[in-house]
Amino acid sequence: MLTSINLVTFSALVYLLWPSLFSSLMATRLQFENNCEVGVFSKLTNAYCLVAIGGSESFYSTFEAELADVIPVVKTSIADTRMIGRLCAGNKNGLLVPHTTTDQELQHLRNSLPDQVVVQRIDEKLSALGNCIACNDHVALAHTDLDRVLTSTVVCNFHQETEEIIADVLGVEVFRQTIAGNILVGSYCAISNRGGLVHPHTSIEDLDELSTLLQVPLVAGTVNRGSEVIAAGMTVNDWTAFCGSDTTATEVSVIESVFKLREAQPSAIVGEMRKSLIDGYV
Amino acid sequence: MLYTRRDAMRLEKCWFCSSTIYPGHGIQFVRNDAKIFRFCRSKCHKNFKMKRNPRKVKWTKAYRRLHGKDMTQDSTFEFERKRNRPERYDRNLAENTLKAIKKIDKVRSDRAATHIEKRLKVRKGKERREAQKELEQSIHLVKAPQVLRQDQSLTLPKIKVVVSQPKSEQNQAMEE
Repeated sequence: MLTSINLVTFSALVYLLWPSLFSSLMATRLQFENNCEVGVFSKLTNAYCLVAIGGSESFYSTFEAELADVIPVVKTSIADTRMIGRLCAGNKNGLLVPHTTTDQELQHLRNSLPDQVVVQRIDEKLSALGNCIACNDHVALAHTDLDRVLTSTVVCNFHQETEEIIADVLGVEVFRQTIAGNILVGSYCAISNRGGLVHPHTSIEDLDELSTLLQVPLVAGTVNRGSEVIAAGMTVNDWTAFCGSDTTATEVSVIESVFKLREAQPSAIVGEMRKSLIDGYV
Repeated sequence: MLYTRRDAMRLEKCWFCSSTIYPGHGIQFVRNDAKIFRFCRSKCHKNFKMKRNPRKVKWTKAYRRLHGKDMTQDSTFEFERKRNRPERYDRNLAENTLKAIKKIDKVRSDRAATHIEKRLKVRKGKERREAQKELEQSIHLVKAPQVLRQDQSLTLPKIKVVVSQPKSEQNQAMEE
């Protein structure tokens, strides 16, 4: 018989591993209207998911099937286009959209997203924010050429760097960086709070440097049968990932391992935790 | 079919003259540094192409504001600023905003009119004083019209010439 199970520890561990209890056993493969670049047409964070409006509902349905109970899945367009994943940047704290976003779209986003997510439109010359900013909930990598002094058209009308706006809205620490010599950091890496996948030609020194900056384990890999544009081919959050149907099984396994998606059924977790929980048998 | 929303109407301001650009009017020019210039009509567009500075062109709002012809600082301008952080839709708020827009517009135009009135009032007094002075100083230069008519040196003498024209045979025939 068990003498004691530390109830506090148990509940704490369950709380920490809560997202994984919902997890799919593997990253989901899907297509947007026969196109495997899933990260272009969707934006997935821990607090919400944005999906482009497609001709058929299949794209939206896949996201809905995975996520509907947990986070809001919102169909939207940005600047009357469907490539929303590459135009906007966001995490659970906020969402940044380019200045080309129409007023109606902005209002739709604000109405559909939970209140703790700050929706902000910014006047930035580089308007494809999804290509320029890669972020998770704590840290962000930014394009080196983001506007330095920028008039913010918030009511107070003061000058503010785009970097400051990112830090303020997304609640992250911002680093201007390049990945494998590419300035479009947002497109060549996909990061979540638990791991990151970067451009395959990133050198080991770069990988280490980025890893220390982001405080997550990083792996250089590909997606969609060798596509280097990681963020365009897949989208990920702390417990799920969606990638294009061209992604090979090897790539999927790499994704699952680096983003730690392979947490299986609750029973397995408890089995692993059992040893640390039980003091001894009587 | 592509499903795209095309109801994104927004009333913009002309970059040159600052008037509102309604849908279907004007030209938008996008420069290589991604700055967008919107013009309400070809007049403004052509002035821009000539590299004219709107602050120096008299009929633009920019000039008028800069030279104090029009009201510059007022609390009503705050309502019209472009907002980048929206608020959740609330029906009451929307209704009140629509009512408020009308009121604010009226208040703003009244204040602008008083500003111009005040500016012109100063001139009226000055004009009056100048007219008064001129009356006092130069009244001797002015002669009454009656006197002008009677004065022989100022008017040409009237000469009466009698003209007689014989009636021709043709005319007589036509009259009958």
